[in-house]
Amino acid sequence: MDNKTICAISTPLGNSAINIIRMSGNKSLEIIKKFFSSKNLDYSKIEPRKMYLGNFTNGDISEKCLMVFFKGPNSFTGEDIVELQIHGGEFLAKEILNVLSKECSLASPGEFSKRAFFNGKMSLSEAEGLIDVINAESQEELKSAYSLSTGRFNRQISDFQNDLTNVLAQIEVALDYPEHDEELITVENARNVLRSISEKLGEIIRNSSCGQKIKSGVNVAIVGSPNVGKSSLLNALLGKERAIVSSTAGTTRDTISETILYNGIKFNLTDTAGIRENGDEIENIGIERAKREIEESDVVLFVTDLSRKINKEEKDLLLSLDKDKTIVVQNKADIGNEDETLGYETVRISALKEENLEELLQKIYEKTIKEKIDTSKIVLTNLRHVNILKEAKQISDETLEKLDVLTLDVVAFEIKRIWETLGKITGQTENEKIIDQIFSKFCLGK
Amino acid sequence: MNKEFDSVVIGAGHAGVESALALARLGKRVLLTCLNLDSVAFLACNPSIGGTAKGHLVCEIDALGGEMGINADETAIQMRMLNEGKGPAVHSLRAQVDKINYHTRMKKIIEDCPNIFLKQAEVCEILTENGKVVGVKTTLDEVYKCKTIVVSTGVYLKSRIIIGEYTQDSGPNGFARANGLTKSLIDLGISIRRFKTGTPARLNGRTIDFGELEKQIGEDNIGFSPLSKNKTKNVAYCYETYTNEKTHEVIRNNLSRAPMYSGEIKGVGPRYCPSIEDKIVRFPNRERHQIFLEPESLSTNEIYVQGVSTSLPADVQNEMYSTIKGLENAEIMRNAYAIEYDCIDSLELQPSLESKKISGLFFAGQVNGTSGYEEAAAQGLIAGINASLKQDGKDPLILKRNEAYIGVLIDDLVTKGTNEPYRMMTSRAEFRLVLRQDNADRRLTEIGRKIGLVSDERWELYKKKLEKFENMKQKLQTLLKLDDKLVDFLKRNNESVPVNSMKAIDLLKRNNIDIFKLNDEYGLFDESEKSLLETLNTEVKYEGYIKQQNDEIEKLKNQEEIKLPEDIDYSQIKGLRIEAQQKLNKVRPLTLGHATRISGVSPADITVLSIYLKAKK
Repeated sequence: MDNKTICAISTPLGNSAINIIRMSGNKSLEIIKKFFSSKNLDYSKIEPRKMYLGNFTNGDISEKCLMVFFKGPNSFTGEDIVELQIHGGEFLAKEILNVLSKECSLASPGEFSKRAFFNGKMSLSEAEGLIDVINAESQEELKSAYSLSTGRFNRQISDFQNDLTNVLAQIEVALDYPEHDEELITVENARNVLRSISEKLGEIIRNSSCGQKIKSGVNVAIVGSPNVGKSSLLNALLGKERAIVSSTAGTTRDTISETILYNGIKFNLTDTAGIRENGDEIENIGIERAKREIEESDVVLFVTDLSRKINKEEKDLLLSLDKDKTIVVQNKADIGNEDETLGYETVRISALKEENLEELLQKIYEKTIKEKIDTSKIVLTNLRHVNILKEAKQISDETLEKLDVLTLDVVAFEIKRIWETLGKITGQTENEKIIDQIFSKFCLGK
Repeated sequence: MNKEFDSVVIGAGHAGVESALALARLGKRVLLTCLNLDSVAFLACNPSIGGTAKGHLVCEIDALGGEMGINADETAIQMRMLNEGKGPAVHSLRAQVDKINYHTRMKKIIEDCPNIFLKQAEVCEILTENGKVVGVKTTLDEVYKCKTIVVSTGVYLKSRIIIGEYTQDSGPNGFARANGLTKSLIDLGISIRRFKTGTPARLNGRTIDFGELEKQIGEDNIGFSPLSKNKTKNVAYCYETYTNEKTHEVIRNNLSRAPMYSGEIKGVGPRYCPSIEDKIVRFPNRERHQIFLEPESLSTNEIYVQGVSTSLPADVQNEMYSTIKGLENAEIMRNAYAIEYDCIDSLELQPSLESKKISGLFFAGQVNGTSGYEEAAAQGLIAGINASLKQDGKDPLILKRNEAYIGVLIDDLVTKGTNEPYRMMTSRAEFRLVLRQDNADRRLTEIGRKIGLVSDERWELYKKKLEKFENMKQKLQTLLKLDDKLVDFLKRNNESVPVNSMKAIDLLKRNNIDIFKLNDEYGLFDESEKSLLETLNTEVKYEGYIKQQNDEIEKLKNQEEIKLPEDIDYSQIKGLRIEAQQKLNKVRPLTLGHATRISGVSPADITVLSIYLKAKK
């Protein structure tokens, strides 16, 4: 039995209020310790089967969620299990899974059940049922592998593998037939192939983060000083009253999220509290959240009030925002004309009169989707595939960096690793192929 | 004479002699038969031992207590380390040996071995009772009783020589072939197939013009075995020359007379050892093909022409060789020929090299569908060891793929089988970085000692070497002061200067510094340790890669330890796919790990299998 720690999203993906992410294996606790904290939780005294409310934090993810620990053997799999109950939404679940999968492995189909069986948590009759499940799932994989194989993606990955096989065969000939007299500029060939593969993998990976967006939606944070009309803007975009609109500064005390569909893409709009230094306590919590929303968003709409000059507070906040993902939305175009954009992309609207909203939506679309996605290119939405490609790219880049100091036996080892990593997608992992290539391409022997 | 033996070894080629020596050294009484005693350990093809992957095999044979490495060292006339610039994993020792001395010395070793009775005889029948071997019968109607048999008949089973239109029922080089044994094997239910190989002409060196050819010179003080008494005398040279357009034209004009194309040869030949006519057909755009001229022995003029094995008719051979630079006036002393022979399907064998069908019947060498002296010797050694262990009622020695090239070789044979003569290549070893020549003893000598093949002398040398190596590793912990000397050394090698003193080992880890530079500068190691510098360098510099491979190995270990019961009927296991059932029933893997390497058995099948095993308990 393979005893590495595994993780998976255990709830079906789709629109649900919560998702559960599960980890099983003896490193579960050690791993979750790095990301989840709660003021009630001292890991050295953690109580099994007790729910802890806390935060899962990593980079730009910060998610308030529930965590339960099951101590093996008193768990479903018989191993240590950690379960996280997080808010619904595919994007969040995948992001968290992505974080965890860097510390452990993604579970293969039926693997939790398989472990349950091997650890004696399941009877023989249940296990026999499990065989069918595993077979069915591997059939499912076969089917999806088949459908993949007709697709561009699989062809592209197979092409990479073929390029690698070619260069590997050259290297193997150089290693196994030192007296072979053909001019083999193997290292330069390896460099070219690795460079090209690394570039193309990078492109697919970049596209794939857009792919995730197509599936899960673009996160848009609406920020700005109190009373510039953030809620009005949200309402205008929704075409319905959802946020509480009031002219007293600071009435939106927490974030409010709504989703609209534009050009077939989901925009998850989040109205944040007005960011102002001296609010009351409740408002401060809202402001903290707002800052987090900004970090997590794909696009920030920085709303200003055209009826007055922007103040120092606003200017500082705006300058702290990433130019690439920020659009300055100049509101109240109906009553003012105080123009200051500090070089950010700008749209002038009136939320109240619903002027120029279409232009704003188009700008959001262009910023996140249009420029980055070329529909003729491969877009990946499967996290496992993305991770495999990232791994392959990483080995390629590391090998490229050291190519001049590595000996040929190690270069072959690294190229083989890239080839095998990609093979996890195409299912091609036979060594014999390289040997066939050696003999079909080169004239060798006594 | 007492006609009762513990073991009979049929055939005294490179597999047979290792088998017989292993058995005898483990205390068994052995009858070693050979069709002609002048062909004991005969180098029927090139006069060389080692080379890529093959050199690794020889070092492994030596580390386990075999004879091939010592015999090659003692009879070498030139030694070279191949692949020096391509990384330590593929450094490969190649010896040009005196083929007459090689044969004579090995024959004498056998004759001097008190437990071996070497006999010129043709075994024509394997005698069995109740599925177990009990003895052999020769063509002279003599019967010898035994408990185990090693069949190491090489290319002698019903072999046939082909030179153009001429064919002759014969073994290699005019030696007689074995006529009867194939039928006996078929009667025992062993499946037989037909393979083909070939050898180039031997020329009279006196008639070759070496003047303008490039000369290859050997290296001193290298060898396969720490036990060899005589360090290599580099007393002979090899020469390089090339075919040319004229040569190719001669061949193309006569292709219709080549048995490979006329349909005369039906056996399957090796892709890596193509005849020259095969090369011309398959690679029409190549302007030339490389040729090496290798001396066969110091006591003959004969020169082996590596690169132009052929089965073209004799007149075409004359014409063809004379187009080649240096060979314009060369006289052919022995013509090139192709040879077809019977061999068995290696899937008939267990990983111990014992037949799945007949208890006590082992197979080793070319009869298993391999090619090469070293591949044969490696199997011979293992078959001999396992035939002995079987008689002692002990578990067989099965080397793992991560332990030895020998493990890779045998695992490939019994798991994948082979459709052409199988040659060892480093690219077949997925754990190549840890299977090096320089660590063959550390991988295998303890195993050989446990079995009883490693002599006290070898064991003492090995232990001393280990101790020395440990001391050397300790010396790398030496702290080097950050003084002008160190700064200068780093700068000269384009390396950055640290803020503090550093350990020698950390200096060694820098890209532009190797152990030789380090030692030249700091003189950490004394004269006696110099032979180990390369190994130390490798282990420090490759630490990360070696660790990765070791992690892989660790992952596979669990599955390798799960044994599959001998009596499983895979067709009765619910959930296994039909293809997997058939393959598993055919190969009958010993462990779960073994099962994972069978093509056509998927990871899901393995899961099903492990659930079955668990449920059965």
